[in-house]
Amino acid sequence: MGRKQNQSPQRESSLLLIEFLEVAITSIVFLKGIYPTGAFERRRYMNLVVHSARHPQLHRYIHDSLNALLPYIEQGMIERVAVIFFNNDKVPVEKFVFKVNVNQSDGAMMEEDADLESSLRLFLIKLSQSESLSKTSSQDLRWEITAYFCSLPNNNGERWIPTQALKWQQLPLITPIKEVVGHDQPSFVHT
Amino acid sequence: MSLDSAAAAAKSSASKRSFNSTNSGNNNNSNNNNNKKKIDGGQKTLGMAWGSNFRSSSFRSSPFTDFGSYMEVKNRKLHEQFDAEASTSSHSGSGAKKPVFHGVAIFVDGYNVPSSQELRGYMLKHGGRFENYFSRQRVTHIICSNLPNSKLKNLRSFSRGLPVVKPTWVLDSVAADKLLNWVPYQLDQVASEANNQPKLSTFLGLRSNLVPCDVANAPMTSDNIISEVGDSAEDIKQPNQELELFEHDACEANDEEPTCSNKSENNVVETNDASCYSDIQNTTESLSVISGSTNKGESTSFDPNFVETYFKNSRLHFIGTWRNRYRKRFRNSSDEFRPSGSISASSTCQRNAILHIDMDCFFVSVVIRNHPELWDKPVAVCHSDNPRGTSEISSANYPARDHGVRAGIFVRDAKACCPHLVIVPYDFEAYEEVADQFYGILHKHCNKVQAMSCDEAILDITDLDDDPQVLASLIRKEIFDTTSCTASVGISNNILMARLATRSAKPNGQCYLPPEKVDDFLKELPVKALPGIGRALEEKLKGRHVKTCGELRIISKDSLQRDFGQKTGDMLWNYSRGIDNRIVGIIQESKSVGADVNWGVRFKDTKDSQVFLLSLCKEVSLRLNGCGVRGRTFTLKVKKRKSDAEPVKYMGHGDCDNLSHSSTVPMATDNVDVLYRITKQLFSHLHIDVKEIRGIGLHVTKLESAYNFKQGIEKSSIWSWLASASPSKQKENKDSNKQISGPHHHQPRSNSDVGNILSNHSSDVPPLSDLDSDVLESLPPEIFSEINDLYGGKLKNFISKRKSESIGVSSALPANVKGMRPQSEPEIIPENIAAASTSQNIDMMPSSLSQIDPFVLQQLPEEIRNDITGLLPAHRDPQTLCHDHLVHQVKPTDHSSSHQLWMGNPPQWVEKFKLSDSPILRFFSDTYSGLGLTRWLSAVLLKSVAAKEVCVGESTVECDDIISGLCQLLKEYVDLKLESDLEEIHTCFRLFIRLSGKSKLLLEVYNTTLPHLQTSVSEKYGGILRIEG
Repeated sequence: MGRKQNQSPQRESSLLLIEFLEVAITSIVFLKGIYPTGAFERRRYMNLVVHSARHPQLHRYIHDSLNALLPYIEQGMIERVAVIFFNNDKVPVEKFVFKVNVNQSDGAMMEEDADLESSLRLFLIKLSQSESLSKTSSQDLRWEITAYFCSLPNNNGERWIPTQALKWQQLPLITPIKEVVGHDQPSFVHT
Repeated sequence: MSLDSAAAAAKSSASKRSFNSTNSGNNNNSNNNNNKKKIDGGQKTLGMAWGSNFRSSSFRSSPFTDFGSYMEVKNRKLHEQFDAEASTSSHSGSGAKKPVFHGVAIFVDGYNVPSSQELRGYMLKHGGRFENYFSRQRVTHIICSNLPNSKLKNLRSFSRGLPVVKPTWVLDSVAADKLLNWVPYQLDQVASEANNQPKLSTFLGLRSNLVPCDVANAPMTSDNIISEVGDSAEDIKQPNQELELFEHDACEANDEEPTCSNKSENNVVETNDASCYSDIQNTTESLSVISGSTNKGESTSFDPNFVETYFKNSRLHFIGTWRNRYRKRFRNSSDEFRPSGSISASSTCQRNAILHIDMDCFFVSVVIRNHPELWDKPVAVCHSDNPRGTSEISSANYPARDHGVRAGIFVRDAKACCPHLVIVPYDFEAYEEVADQFYGILHKHCNKVQAMSCDEAILDITDLDDDPQVLASLIRKEIFDTTSCTASVGISNNILMARLATRSAKPNGQCYLPPEKVDDFLKELPVKALPGIGRALEEKLKGRHVKTCGELRIISKDSLQRDFGQKTGDMLWNYSRGIDNRIVGIIQESKSVGADVNWGVRFKDTKDSQVFLLSLCKEVSLRLNGCGVRGRTFTLKVKKRKSDAEPVKYMGHGDCDNLSHSSTVPMATDNVDVLYRITKQLFSHLHIDVKEIRGIGLHVTKLESAYNFKQGIEKSSIWSWLASASPSKQKENKDSNKQISGPHHHQPRSNSDVGNILSNHSSDVPPLSDLDSDVLESLPPEIFSEINDLYGGKLKNFISKRKSESIGVSSALPANVKGMRPQSEPEIIPENIAAASTSQNIDMMPSSLSQIDPFVLQQLPEEIRNDITGLLPAHRDPQTLCHDHLVHQVKPTDHSSSHQLWMGNPPQWVEKFKLSDSPILRFFSDTYSGLGLTRWLSAVLLKSVAAKEVCVGESTVECDDIISGLCQLLKEYVDLKLESDLEEIHTCFRLFIRLSGKSKLLLEVYNTTLPHLQTSVSEKYGGILRIEG
């Protein structure tokens, strides 16, 4: 995965997290089927076939917004990252939440951690098998990436803008997708 | 699109050429090689190049009309990319040295660690090729870690004969910086599949423990071994029996075999095996029946009792079945030393002292032991002293051997060598008697005795202090005094050398071969003297100019293993150096039971043969019974005469083709009728004219112990169950029984009191008063009557009496033993346990309030709560009281105190549930304990979905206990795991939904726990967990 060796462990783990989130979020968007399949191409990530966005705007949105998160993740300010799907009335109908719980101090073993790789891979496999993803409600969805901060960032981010709390019509139903052991990234689907 | 790629193709093919030309000058070998390949492709028409092997070249004129031509171009492009990358990343600096993977092209199938991309990287770096698409022409190795069943089944069509290798091969090769042999890295599934039969290692399980061998080579060479064994067998002309031979040899079954097949191929195995009988010559005989009955009766076609008579007079049969008798007689002694023997032998290789004792010409000397006048005369044992002289000498004494009389030669030839030869018949009773005396003496002197045969044994006297030589002469003298027969003894440091020493000790002598002399002794020893080297193997060795062990030693182990197979090569190498790691006393279970009749078999018609088959089945069934086993695979072997002429030997089988057929049934059997039915089927499969048959054998393999079956049947009897209850269990029963009567004694008891009371009970069955009338009543009538009998009929009265009593005590309390902290109050544990184990009883009540779960108590309606507190004795002491209050005040949501059930490792509930009477709880506990490292509740639940324990209906009273127990367990688990592992909780509850379909009890548990779960989830995550089964 061609990352440079001479980076600090914190940065290393954050980069890995970002990279992983990028793949996972792209997968979710692909699996939801909001875009035609032609918008994606098959790639390999962690010895696994995943989909990556071909459309430059789509790719850039995911890639750039996540990479903009990097400093905050390094500071440990991000609590959750969510992919939220809205219907036409801007009412969120579904939300995929990545609960980020990276212990920044023990990132030293990142590179050698084969267990981590396999659990991340397991997550991606599970993701593609998850029931709520396979049943697409309608094509007419909008979506966005939302990050939950523990505290407000002091420099009001260029790309990341504060949002109002989202209103849910009812208590969300939770379906856990996969715990990633060793990295502690539980992820849930709110339907 | 298609235009585009056409352009690309044209361009790339052009660029390819230029690429080649520029590179070939300065690049390393790998590129040259690749280029060569490419040029080969390139010399064909454009469309034919590369990937066109996929499809025929019919569309060569219009390359992009379909998939095939597209693939061609794609493949070509991939190769070019690969080459371009390779030229930059390979070690061009390595100079003259060939890259590791020179000439190797891998195709990676499926998921691998490392990933296919990494493997590709290795290939790039080290001069190999990486194929994205499979092609028989270009790929040299298939890399894959796992294969689906469908591909395994049709391996040839998947691999096209190419090696299927694990990815570690690549890594190890890179690490070793040279191309390693792929064989050890062959995919396990493939390696075992390669010989369409069980792997060698399954047969050699035991032996491979003893003889260190290179495991890595095993899969490869197993093929060779099979054929090797076949070749070395004397009877090479019986190809269809190779497998059978191999099995015999591999499991060393021959000298342990309870039944002995009296036909030549079995003898071959004996000579082949390391531990063959000493009188090998004898075994080439075929059976003859003593001429007591008329000729008429000796053929199968006339005598309905032929088979029985036949085996009654069979010497080999005697040797074979003797073992069973021996086993029964000396079972205990041999069982005792077995474990210790294996330990000591492994630790002390050098200091071992092994005695090999062999009676001198046993079959003769036993017969003439009471005729001293014959002792120095030539004597031979034979079935008949018929003037025709066509029966074979079975055994001859030493004076006769001096005249050239050998076992196996015809009587008339023997008489020609030695006119005074005295022929005596067998005396089977005498053999038994002497053999028993023989082993009696051996077991007296040493407890590590391995019986090789009725007249031959090996003793491990390592642990004895006596001087081996003195002990040997003592034993020999004693044998002679008791039996009037002589024995010879060989002494050395392992089994092999002891046996060889015996050979030089014979007759009637002893020979000590100290370890330092072994080398010299072996140097001049002809190879055929080694056990396990038969005629065929000897011939082969002779071809390599090897006649003595000294010459054999020159050849390397690798070379031996290559030429003779893994096992034989290993054996040759070891034996020629006097190495033998076998341990005295390894008793092997027999792998096959069977019977063969190869003498006197002449059928007139099908009816004859059917009668014969039936009696053969009877015999085999008897033997199965005798060995206490049942079998699943049945093999029928038939000897079919080759020529019309009658054989020289009277009623012998002559020159024959051997046919066999076998079938496997799902249930092991020893039943005659089943055997007969199967045998008839097998027989009809052979489609053979009964008149052609000269011998028939039936063998049973895949043996299972018949004891297990019987046990299974016996288990269903309640009596055996009661009788087999271990003393400790009874104690426990009584312990719990005392607890049952808890409500009647209101004083809390100390443990020692309980113990005293217990010691007063001594009967096997629990006293009447301890029996639960409800349970008794709900028993099936036959079991009830059985128990009633046990109590001498008192049970019925008791029931009716008890009925009227028990109506009073019916406020079914959901009281339970939860809420305690045993660490803080160790003195309560025994009672807790006892109480838990009696939850089956209706009149059970905790003997003190301290045993009641405070939460449960809290949730009860007030009047019931008062009832309970009033009914139960006050707390045991102030300390307990205090503690109870503490627990009382703790809120259920407080994790620190409500996780008691999950505290410790293993968690406390495991122990608690284990002692419970409920099958469900016990099942949970057992399953959890058996889980190993991944100790998740979901794993337990998953297992219980398939288990039948959870479906068992429970009486309502007991249910409450179980439900509250499980609820508590689940709630605490939720609290424990909710934050860290929601997925696990989710899985658990989804499994619970599934389980609740099977059991109302679990449904209730689920319903009770669900609100707690959802509250917790919404607190933690602000939503409701969606649970769908």
